[in-house]
Amino acid sequence: MANTTTKLHVIFGDGTLGVATDDVHYLFSYEKGGLESIVSHGKEWLYRPIRPIFWRATTDNDRGNHFSEESAMWLGADCFTRCQNIDVQVDGEDLGLPIAPQNNQFSNDETADQVDITFDFQTATTPATKVTMHYQIVANGKVTLTSHLQGKEALPELPAFGVQLIMPTVATGFEYDGLSGETYPDRMAGGSRGQYYVAGLPVTPYLVPQEMGMHMQTRWLTVTRQRTLNNADVDAQPFSFSVEMADQPFAFSCLPYTAMELEAATHVEELPLARRTVLSVYGAVRGVGGIDSWGADVQPPYRLFADVDRTFTVQIHPGNHVAD
Amino acid sequence: MQADIKWLDDPQVFRVGQLPAHSDHYWYRDADEARAKSSSFAQSLDGQWQFKFADRPQHRPVGFYEPNYDTSDFGTIHVPGHIELSNYAQIQYINTLYPWEGKIYRRPAYTMGPDQTGEGMFSEAPDNSVGAYIRHFRLAPGLTNQRVIVQFDGVEEAMYVWLNGHFLGYAEDSFSRSEFDLTDALVEGDNVLAVEVFKRSTASFLEDQDMFRFSGIFRSVRLVGLPTVHVADMHIRPVVNEDLDSGELNVTLKLTGDLESKGRVHLTVFDKADKLIVDEKRSVAKQISFGHLPFENVMLWTHHNPDLYHLTVTITDEDSNPIEVVPYDIGFRRLELRNQVIYLNGKRLIINGVNRHEWDATTGRTVSMADMKADLQTFAENHINAVRTCHYPDQIPWYYMCDQAGVYMMAETNLETHGTWQKMGAVEPSDNVPGSLPQWREAVLDRARSNYETFKNHPAILFWSLGNESYAGDDIEAMNTYYKTMDSSRLTHYEGVVRNRKYETSISDVESRMYASPAEIRTYLSNQPMKPFLDCEYMHDMGNSLGGLGEYMALLDDFPSYQGGFIWDFIDQALWVTDEVTGRQVLRYGGDFDDRHTDGEFSGDGLMFANRQAKPAMQEVRYYYGQYDN
Repeated sequence: MANTTTKLHVIFGDGTLGVATDDVHYLFSYEKGGLESIVSHGKEWLYRPIRPIFWRATTDNDRGNHFSEESAMWLGADCFTRCQNIDVQVDGEDLGLPIAPQNNQFSNDETADQVDITFDFQTATTPATKVTMHYQIVANGKVTLTSHLQGKEALPELPAFGVQLIMPTVATGFEYDGLSGETYPDRMAGGSRGQYYVAGLPVTPYLVPQEMGMHMQTRWLTVTRQRTLNNADVDAQPFSFSVEMADQPFAFSCLPYTAMELEAATHVEELPLARRTVLSVYGAVRGVGGIDSWGADVQPPYRLFADVDRTFTVQIHPGNHVAD
Repeated sequence: MQADIKWLDDPQVFRVGQLPAHSDHYWYRDADEARAKSSSFAQSLDGQWQFKFADRPQHRPVGFYEPNYDTSDFGTIHVPGHIELSNYAQIQYINTLYPWEGKIYRRPAYTMGPDQTGEGMFSEAPDNSVGAYIRHFRLAPGLTNQRVIVQFDGVEEAMYVWLNGHFLGYAEDSFSRSEFDLTDALVEGDNVLAVEVFKRSTASFLEDQDMFRFSGIFRSVRLVGLPTVHVADMHIRPVVNEDLDSGELNVTLKLTGDLESKGRVHLTVFDKADKLIVDEKRSVAKQISFGHLPFENVMLWTHHNPDLYHLTVTITDEDSNPIEVVPYDIGFRRLELRNQVIYLNGKRLIINGVNRHEWDATTGRTVSMADMKADLQTFAENHINAVRTCHYPDQIPWYYMCDQAGVYMMAETNLETHGTWQKMGAVEPSDNVPGSLPQWREAVLDRARSNYETFKNHPAILFWSLGNESYAGDDIEAMNTYYKTMDSSRLTHYEGVVRNRKYETSISDVESRMYASPAEIRTYLSNQPMKPFLDCEYMHDMGNSLGGLGEYMALLDDFPSYQGGFIWDFIDQALWVTDEVTGRQVLRYGGDFDDRHTDGEFSGDGLMFANRQAKPAMQEVRYYYGQYDN
């Protein structure tokens, strides 16, 4: 049934929470621990649930200064972090995890002005720490995603802290408002601010595949695709998805590979066939360094010490970037 | 004279029968040829040569240089090119350790005592592959009835040369031109030039550069004819006075041939507006000096305005017909070191530089004119104003191109021995060469002499570099003395003395370091520095790197004695290979050829990928070098 109100339609499922407007339908999976589906005008945007990320592929400098060895537990955390708790609030009312029998009270006509859902993760680190991903959905269908990492002094420095959206098919390109080229916290003076379109999902051909494609200081980003995996979808019209900054600009990379896939390859030609779009949105990333490649660390301002709390917020929604 | 394979073992034998090094000028029959830059005195021998490969000296075709030798089992190879890239021998990349690491135990001759001669170390070595090259030629018409020289622009690492069965000589120093006089061995009609190239010799200890280890005739070969009177060497010394407005020119010519000729030697210099500045005539003589030729309103040669004057020496016969025309473009600039600051034309010198290996992903260190032009274009686009020829002399045209492009050069001698003193990162110089060993001194001095004599007339060269990572001892001190004695108009550079500060006052005009952190440089410059500071290598751009460049650039604001540096490095060294699985062309690095021991991807440190596509980090270089582009 179509949602004809200007409110959100809320579907209290037995394994998911559905949240819908006329234009977009979100599915939050209780079992998988995250937002697993964003469908807009029949187009699916997620291949796997959005998850927190802590790793970016080792650079040659990281290898040389043993960073990856010292911070290796963040690689485990990146792969295997567990969702421990889910909390749903509808119009400010805390429902906890509204599964049966609690959800027997609802109907198919539940509406709300605002839905908040929070996923708490425990990192696979020793000691463990907590990450929360909080989605706030308002009536216009926009999602505000806030990710928070609880600092822990005993943990090693982080390569990165962000969230990852893996899309089912490769993008035809992306457009963003930020800095030109590939930039990092310690290598962005040469980036010119502007709006840039990047065709396809270019892989920077470093001799040994490694962290690549970072874009610092981004205000908004729109990814465009043309194909879905839906067998009944024969439409070839391009469709888009956008990420917008909230209070602070964000960093992102948009590649056909995950950090793990980059990490595993010794040559560009060993990378798998490009099948997905891996959009990583970062609140913080480690610099690349440059003094040497056999020991010198990244300079302190560009390192991510683990003893501080980190929070970042972005807005996500299907469609093109909407000018403020 | 007979060739002796034992020369390979003896560091005291490194050139036999070679002509002395001299300036790199071109000569022409007349002004038209000079204008067209096409000399009928030159005959290229590049192309397909007959070739036979042997995996070790004991398997080589002994006597193949005899004209009647049966070469029916010879294959072919392209000259110039590397033997390994023609797939006769395995490709290997290794950095510090010697390429025979873990396979053959070697210590450089005489490092373990005066009785350790090293005999047989290379001449009987199973890892010393041999290329036997044969080239038949007939003299081009422009070369008949005169002295004829063969020029080898680059051969790794040791070679013996014969013509028509007559032994002509022996050469090491892979990156300097070697010349032999063929005249007495020439015959009418078909001539047989034979070259036996050994992959290893004592030169291997001196050529431990961080690069793919190749062998063979990898630069051009040509014959050149010498006219009846010929300029063998020219020493051009433009001087700019303190006022930066007036100057003088000093030119010394060494002539060979018919020195009793009644001909004349005519020196002209035109400025870029074709105004005649110098017009001098002398009689033919063995040595001719034109001294203190005055210049007013001198057009200074700088990075942004590399103005060159057009000098020409014309030798005419007694009827005033041209015998030889030698053009050379010269530049006036004043390089000074005052109070620990280097000035060029009165302005503090700022080096926005790169280290540049000669590299092409298809042909290795055989680089084309197109590669060189592309590299200079990249320099211009990214405000790169200086290049260090790491760690050997480059092809000769590159120096002319840098003169024209206004690119400051650090002209490095072909020397790197880090495997003899840097052991797994630690300084352990117990078997270091050249060190202070007298048996190695002449070899390294000869390398310095070849570098200086060949390139001495290029205004682009501001620094003579003694080599790279070879520690410091009496021998490198002697190289410094040599350069200082020959040339007061440039500075010497050597980094390795910081590893052995005993030689601090006698080696290198600059405090040069590699990969010093900004904090370490601040410390040096804040404590009454003895010398100006430059980074001969910094910002190691391996893979995705080049973070923090701004902290180095800030040193330029804070310390007048900080003169900038050369980023390591310009271009990734990797090779195009057909992928054995997909059939695609892919770039491969050390270890991809089953080569062990290897340093893997460590040669991928360029601002450019090996295919000359800029890495993303280039925009950061463009920004910062642009900020300090003076």
